[in-house]
Amino acid sequence: MSERSNELTDLVGEEHAATGHDYAAGFVTEIDTDTLPPGLDEDVVRAISAKKAEPAWMTEWRLDAFRRWQEMPTPRWAHVQFPDIDFQGISYFSAPKGDAPKSLDEVDPELLRTYEKLGIPLHERARLAGVEAEDEEAPQVAVDAVFDSVSVATTFKERLAEAGVVFCSMSEAIQEHPELVRKYLGSVVPKPDNFYAALNSAVFSDGSFVYVPKNTRCPMELSTYFRINAENTGQFERTLIIADEGAYVSYLEGCTAPMRDDNQLHAAVVELVALEDAEIKYSTVQNWYPGDAEGNGGIYNFVTKRGTCLGDRSKISWTQVETGSAITWKYPSVMLRGADSVGEFYSVALTRNFQQADTGTKMTHIGPRTKSTIVSKGISAGRSQNSYRGRVRMNPGAKGARNYTQCDSLLIGDTCGAHTFPYIESKLSTAVVEHEATTSKVSDEQLFLCQQRGIDPEKAVAMIVNGFCRDVFRTLPMEFAVEAAKLLEVSLEGAVG
Amino acid sequence: MAGLALNGASLAEKLLARGPTSYAPWLDRRPHLDLIEQRALPELRAEAWRHTNIARWYETVLAGTERATRSRRVEFPGEVEVVDFADPRAAELLVLRGEEIFRLDAQPIAALNGMLLGSGVAIRVPAGTVPSPVRIVDLPAAYQRILVIVEPDARVELIEEPSSYTHRLVEAVVQPGGRLLHRRLQAASPDRECSLVAVRVQANAHYELSQLSLGGDLRRNDIVATLAGNAANVTLRGAWRLVESQHLDNQVAVHHDAPGGTSRQTFRGVADGRSRAVLNGRIEIAPGAQQSDATLNTKNLLASDTAEVYAKPELEIYANDVKCSHGATIGAIDEDAVHYFRTRGIDAPTARSLFVRGFLREAIDDVETARRLGVIQ
Amino acid sequence: MSLLRVEELHVEVDGKPILAGIDLEVDAGEVHAVMGPNGSGKSTFANVLAGRPGYDVVRGSMRVDGEDVTELAPEERSLRGLFLAFQYPIEIPGVSNMEFLKAAVDAHALGRGEDPPSAIDFVRHAREAASRLELNPDFLKRGVNDGFSGGEKKRNEILQMLILEPRLAVLDETDSGLDIDALQVVANGINAFRGDGNAVVLVTHYQRLLNYVVPDHVHVLADGRIVHSGDRSLALELEERGYGWLGA
Ligand SMILES: Nc1ncnc2c1ncn2[C@@H]1O[C@H](COP(=O)(O)OP(=O)(O)OP(=O)(O)O)[C@@H](O)[C@H]1O
Ligand SMILES: [Mg+2]
Repeated sequence: MSERSNELTDLVGEEHAATGHDYAAGFVTEIDTDTLPPGLDEDVVRAISAKKAEPAWMTEWRLDAFRRWQEMPTPRWAHVQFPDIDFQGISYFSAPKGDAPKSLDEVDPELLRTYEKLGIPLHERARLAGVEAEDEEAPQVAVDAVFDSVSVATTFKERLAEAGVVFCSMSEAIQEHPELVRKYLGSVVPKPDNFYAALNSAVFSDGSFVYVPKNTRCPMELSTYFRINAENTGQFERTLIIADEGAYVSYLEGCTAPMRDDNQLHAAVVELVALEDAEIKYSTVQNWYPGDAEGNGGIYNFVTKRGTCLGDRSKISWTQVETGSAITWKYPSVMLRGADSVGEFYSVALTRNFQQADTGTKMTHIGPRTKSTIVSKGISAGRSQNSYRGRVRMNPGAKGARNYTQCDSLLIGDTCGAHTFPYIESKLSTAVVEHEATTSKVSDEQLFLCQQRGIDPEKAVAMIVNGFCRDVFRTLPMEFAVEAAKLLEVSLEGAVG
Repeated sequence: MAGLALNGASLAEKLLARGPTSYAPWLDRRPHLDLIEQRALPELRAEAWRHTNIARWYETVLAGTERATRSRRVEFPGEVEVVDFADPRAAELLVLRGEEIFRLDAQPIAALNGMLLGSGVAIRVPAGTVPSPVRIVDLPAAYQRILVIVEPDARVELIEEPSSYTHRLVEAVVQPGGRLLHRRLQAASPDRECSLVAVRVQANAHYELSQLSLGGDLRRNDIVATLAGNAANVTLRGAWRLVESQHLDNQVAVHHDAPGGTSRQTFRGVADGRSRAVLNGRIEIAPGAQQSDATLNTKNLLASDTAEVYAKPELEIYANDVKCSHGATIGAIDEDAVHYFRTRGIDAPTARSLFVRGFLREAIDDVETARRLGVIQ
Repeated sequence: MSLLRVEELHVEVDGKPILAGIDLEVDAGEVHAVMGPNGSGKSTFANVLAGRPGYDVVRGSMRVDGEDVTELAPEERSLRGLFLAFQYPIEIPGVSNMEFLKAAVDAHALGRGEDPPSAIDFVRHAREAASRLELNPDFLKRGVNDGFSGGEKKRNEILQMLILEPRLAVLDETDSGLDIDALQVVANGINAFRGDGNAVVLVTHYQRLLNYVVPDHVHVLADGRIVHSGDRSLALELEERGYGWLGA
């Protein structure tokens, strides 16, 4: 019945992606920008810092990172292939022209329209796409919108301020909360952590900053929406979230970019710090432009995300739904330092056409009775390569620690690849590590059952894939879960129908 | 840690000055020398050597302090053809083997075996025969090579029980319909030793490995099994028990290159004292190897807080109509189970050793031998 | 016009002939039982009716309400009212029964040019059907057949039939693996479904089910052919004498 498999491949493999039907976020916004010419040296780093009127300590911090970066070789270990990146051919700063808007009313209407079109309305009454107004109880979401190198708007700032929550752009935080930034920036992901983190530390332009004070439950979901617009520009945002003792925050991140024939680099760093009894839930729906059906263009998404459970009983939970980018290379990780702290990683990564994903997590158990859970669902179609790479490490102090890992791969068609590279390391007898991985395909029998009941094959595949991802979608906030399921369906849409 | 700066490049330099051995002069050593000349020996931090300090093995190679027995003990029945590797007939058998079974650039330290080879045997099991077991106990050199050709529909058991080597290469081809049961008995050893087992399994042929290991000062086993023909079958079993500061590193790769193959891997290990156990188990399904069915299961017991276990089960899959899975666990002796034994009147040490034995037995098919070797008590 | 008309149906799998010329006519309001030894081709016939890929129809045709469906995709046959209860229902983990049924019901509604039912109406309807089959409502939330017992899977097939209300239901050994009470429940479900506008083809090995669901016609399939047809007494006779006397 291999004929059948081919039919399946036709369904999801050969895309009309080239015509862009399935990448609705692929448009370009025409707007005047203030863009640095391509190239990178110490002067460029200084220029970025100067544009943001940063204090001297910040400039020095960046220069130190830049010098370290220059010493580092480009990493090669991931299961991905791409031509060498010309770091001198990239522009490291691009921002809409004019002074930074002080309130939403001052934001360029063209930008507001861009976010509207993306389903991220920036006026404060609105909600995230996918949530109908009929539900009055729907939670409100505060949005920080990052356009190329800068944050263009942050909503609901006043309401959040009443609760004592700081939610602003990174640039603003450096000016307004230097003590917090100096204390925590680079404390989770040190400057020389890896090649792309070092680069980010030198040239990061903006990003979001969150501080939730002691014993405070953040009154709404926080979200950042990243948009790459300018051509030939890298996006290097930096996000820092600190949940003080007993605090709770749920943070959502979304991303898109226009369709362009060239590859664009996105090298972000995200740092999370959870103090005693604090909890941070970080959800990502990543839909950067994946490139066309022939593998031209798309974003290189090389991101370092790491959280540290500093305090006892703290918890950090990462959920990601990755459907975009030509290449994804990221491992949202947790350092479990506090006793009884908890780390979680839930991931869905879908690749098709010529996409490549090498993603997973690192759970480092340092404190006693720390617990981690990893659930990874990889779906490969077309000629894509999809790898899970993870490391679970039980350090000598992690008495009674536990990890459970489940990695499942689903293959659609016979020209793609699905890979699993887990590193499991234990140095003490009282820790327990369990890892399981399976590989399956959408079976002909499942498809036939659906068809026999009247469901067309394209819908059936989407439904089966959704079912396969259920354990992960369950962990997303409601409105994001709906969006994620839709995104998956759109991504699986093929030539039929 | 003096002397550990020795790396692949500096070793190569010194060895090339020394030159190859004169044993089995018919053997084409060019590929081995080329690799060494190109400085392609593993460096200290190479991914495949993350948990085994190869510099310690290089030291042994360089110092010329390899320990080797003088004696040669190989037992085999009359139907089986066994010749010394130095014999020109071995060259003919190498031709019968067919194409290379493993890629030298993927197993670079085997180049040292080629260069420094001092003893070896070539074995042919004629088509359709079912002889009694072939036992290879000792070969009189530090660098050893064993070639096994199991001809169509032949069936044989090969037992390796060496007392000492620095590098041993075992190559086997199991031709269509043939069967090779390969027992490797690795006693505790004060030496630093590396071995490579490379097997090609042709259509409808079976290869079964049963490896029982105690630790060594440095013991490294690379195992590469390729299912090259339709409906080939590979079963790998490994059990180990490490104490004190023993070290065991098993690097296993199973390549499904043809459709309809089945592979089963089961590993069970116990690490006590300050020992270190490593298992890297890789399953690779090539494009077109549809209907492959592959599983790997490894379970580890950490019996002390100073021992270390590293497990890395990997899947690399390029075909969709396949069934693949792996599972890996690391944990302690189940004290609930020990308690249960004790309520039945069994003292704690006995209970623990019963538990360990039961645990290891899942990867042991010959309890008597395992007991004789001391893998179980 | 017959609801189902099968003529001279020859089917091969990988070049191996399995069905060697089947003729069968089923009218609305009728129940037909198909019996026959293991491996005689009953499931093949049922699967071919439903359009399962991998079976080559080398000769002959199948018509539903006069329309030739031989070349139609499985989902198109489903929308035309053809339903197959599988001998071995497959599991689809993660996809809930409810979600699966809703997708099917929506597809059928759209096929008729109607709006899909509201979620509330649908859930009510599904719960009703489930309770008629004495299935716990929680059952609807579980993955399709995922971890169901053999009997639960069979009941789930009948549940789907009741909800989709097909014109022709082909039930392939739905009675196998059911306990005595469950058999009664399933039979009641089938009888409730029976009407003047639809028809049922029961593939079965046992007379038992036919005591509850009385067939109008009984056919014996052997070596890919219908070798004998009769009324319900034939089933009783088969129960007593086996297949040997038919020369099958
Ligand atoms: N996909 C297939 N590939 C090869 N042979 C097949 C296939 N499907 C059916 N067959 C063969 O066709 C014959 C008829 O099978 P079928 O399942 O239709 O029998 P059945 O009458 O339903 O039997 P049972 O009473 O056991 O359910 C059998 O010999 C079977 O092995
Ligand atoms: Mg049948």
